[in-house]
Amino acid sequence: MLIGSAIAASLVLVVIYLAAGGASYEPTPVADPCAPRDWTEPHSLEEDAQQFLLSALDGAACELGVSRETLAAALPTEETREEFAAERGIDDAELEQAIQAGVVRAIDDAQDAGQVNPLVAEGLRAIASNLPVDEAIDLISGAQDVFDDASGLLDRLGGILPDVDLGIIFDRG
Amino acid sequence: MRVSRLGLALAVAVGTVLADGSIVVLALPDIYRELDVSVSAVTWVLVAFNLVLALAAVPAAMLARRVGAARVAIAGLIVFGAASLACGLAGSIELLLLARCVQAVGGAAAVCASLELLPSVTGSERRAAGLWAAAGALGAAIGPGAGGLLTELVSWESIFLLQVPIALVCVLPLLGTARAEGTEAALRAERLPAGRPHLAANAALALVSAALAAALFLVVLLLIEGWRLTPIAAAAAVTAMPISAFCAAPLTDRVPEVGARAASGVILIAGGLAGLGLLPDASVALTLPPQILVGIGLALTLSALTEAALEGRSPQAIHGGWTIASRHAGVVAGLLVLTPVFTADLDTQRAQAEQSGIAALLDSGVDPSSKLELANRIADQIAAEGDKVPDVRPAFDPLPEDPEERDEVVELRDQIVDEVERAATHAFSASFLISAAFALAALIPIGLARRRTRELEL
Repeated sequence: MLIGSAIAASLVLVVIYLAAGGASYEPTPVADPCAPRDWTEPHSLEEDAQQFLLSALDGAACELGVSRETLAAALPTEETREEFAAERGIDDAELEQAIQAGVVRAIDDAQDAGQVNPLVAEGLRAIASNLPVDEAIDLISGAQDVFDDASGLLDRLGGILPDVDLGIIFDRG
Repeated sequence: MRVSRLGLALAVAVGTVLADGSIVVLALPDIYRELDVSVSAVTWVLVAFNLVLALAAVPAAMLARRVGAARVAIAGLIVFGAASLACGLAGSIELLLLARCVQAVGGAAAVCASLELLPSVTGSERRAAGLWAAAGALGAAIGPGAGGLLTELVSWESIFLLQVPIALVCVLPLLGTARAEGTEAALRAERLPAGRPHLAANAALALVSAALAAALFLVVLLLIEGWRLTPIAAAAAVTAMPISAFCAAPLTDRVPEVGARAASGVILIAGGLAGLGLLPDASVALTLPPQILVGIGLALTLSALTEAALEGRSPQAIHGGWTIASRHAGVVAGLLVLTPVFTADLDTQRAQAEQSGIAALLDSGVDPSSKLELANRIADQIAAEGDKVPDVRPAFDPLPEDPEERDEVVELRDQIVDEVERAATHAFSASFLISAAFALAALIPIGLARRRTRELEL
C-alpha cells in the first residue's frame, strides 16, 4: 500500500513535469553564419547599414568557422581580437581575409535583397576583395561608429571609393 | 534533573555536529566568492568534513568504549569547538579545509560517544537509539535553514563561531559523568566484542545519503547561483524538505515494517529528484512538489534504515558509528560523482547562454550604436565571473535615458537573464537524474534485506 502510493506520487510528478516541457529545454538557437540570412524590409538607411554589417559579420564568421556571436564578442577591442586570434590559432592574414570575405558576403546579400544596384554591387565586390587590410578590419571592428548612422558606412566606403556617387549605393537616391 | 540536562546536552551535541554536514550548504556561494575559489574547490568544504567524519566514526566509537564515553565526548566537543573557531577565523580555503577536517574528528568522537552514553539517560538502548537518530535528523534538517539565515544576517563565519559556545555548554554536564568513569568501560569493551555491521542497511544508507546530499547541495546552488536568490530566500525555499519530513514522521509509527518504509521512502526520494531534474521552468514554486516528495522519503527511509542497522546489534555505539560512516561516505560519494558532472554541464550551458544572449542582442531592436558595446560588456561580465553562473544585469547599467530606448534595453536584458536562468536550470538536470538513480539503487540492498528477513521468518 505504502509502496504503491510512493510509486504513484512519483510517477504523477514526473509525468506532469514532462508534460509541462521539463525535458524539452533547448537554448535559443544560434544561426549558422554560413546559411543565407534574409534581409528584413528596411525602413531607413540606418537599417540598411545595420543589415549590411550583420551580413558582413556572418560572412567573416563563416570564413573563420565560428559563430557570428563569437566574432561579435571578439571584435570590440584590440585586446579581445588578439585573445580571440590566439585562442583559435588565427593569424592576421586569415583574419583579414575573413573580414574581406564578410564584406563581399554583405554586398551579395544586399544585392539579393534588392537594396544595392547590381552595377554598384559589382564594383563594390571588386573593391572589397582588395580592401586594404586596415580598412577591412576597421570597417568591421569599428562597426559601432558605422552604426551611429548610415553616413558612417557611406563615409567609409566613400573613403575607399572617392569617385563613386554614394547616393546610388543604396537604392534610395 | 541532572539526567535530563545530560540527555539534552548529548542531543544538542549530536544535532550540532550532524547539522555541520549540511549547515554550510547555503553559505558555500558566499564562501567561494569571498575566498575566491571555484565551485569544485568549495565543494570540499562539505566533502572534507563528511569524509573525515565517515572515516573517524567507527574508530571514535571503539575509543569511546575503551577510554570512556564521557571522556571521549568531552574531548570530541572541545576539539570540535576549537576547530569551529578556526573555521570562523580562516582567511583561506586551505585553512578552512584543514579546520573542517579537525572539526569532523572532534564531531565523530562526540556523536559516537553520545550513543554510548544515552542508554543510561533514557533507560534503554532502543530509546537511546531513537533519541540519537532524531537529534541527528533534526540537526541535519535545521542545518541549511539556520546556515542560510546566519549567512544572510551576519556572515558565513558566524555559522562556525556560533558552534563554539554551543560545544562548550554541552561539555559542562558531561564533566561529572567523566569523573565517575573508571576502568569499567575498558572491561565492558573486552566483554562485548562488536558484531558484524548490517551490510544491506548500511549500503542502502550510503546510497540514499548520496542522493540526499546531492539534492540539498544542488537545490541550494541552483537557487542561489542559478536563479540568484538571496541565502534567506533560498533557506525559506529549502525548508520545504525538512517541514515535509517533520510532517511525515508520524507515518513511521503507523507502518511497522521497516523494509516497506525504506523502499517507499527511496521511491519518493527518486521521484522528487527526477522532478527536480525535469523542472519545466526556472521557478521556485516548481521546486516545492519535488522537495516535498524528497522530505517525506527522507523521514521514511533514514529512520527505517537506521533502525534496521542497529536492531539487535551490540554494542550500539559501534553500530551507530557504522551508520554515521555509511551516511557520510555516501554524502562524499554523491558530491564527488556529481560535482564534475554539474560543473561541466554549467560550463557548457554558460557558453551556450552567452552565444544565445549575444544572438538576441544582435537581432534586437536596441540602438545599433549600443550593440557592440553591450556585447563587449556582456562578454566582460561573463569573463569576470569566472566559472560561476553569470549575472549579466550589471552589463546593462546604466540604462539609456531615452524612454523608448530604455524599454528596448530592459526587454533585451530580461530576455538574456531568462536565457541564462533556463540554461542554469538545465545544467543541473543530469545531476539530479543521477542522484535519482542513486536513490533507486538503494532498492537493491533494501530488497535483499527484506528477502533475507522473510527467509529467516520461514
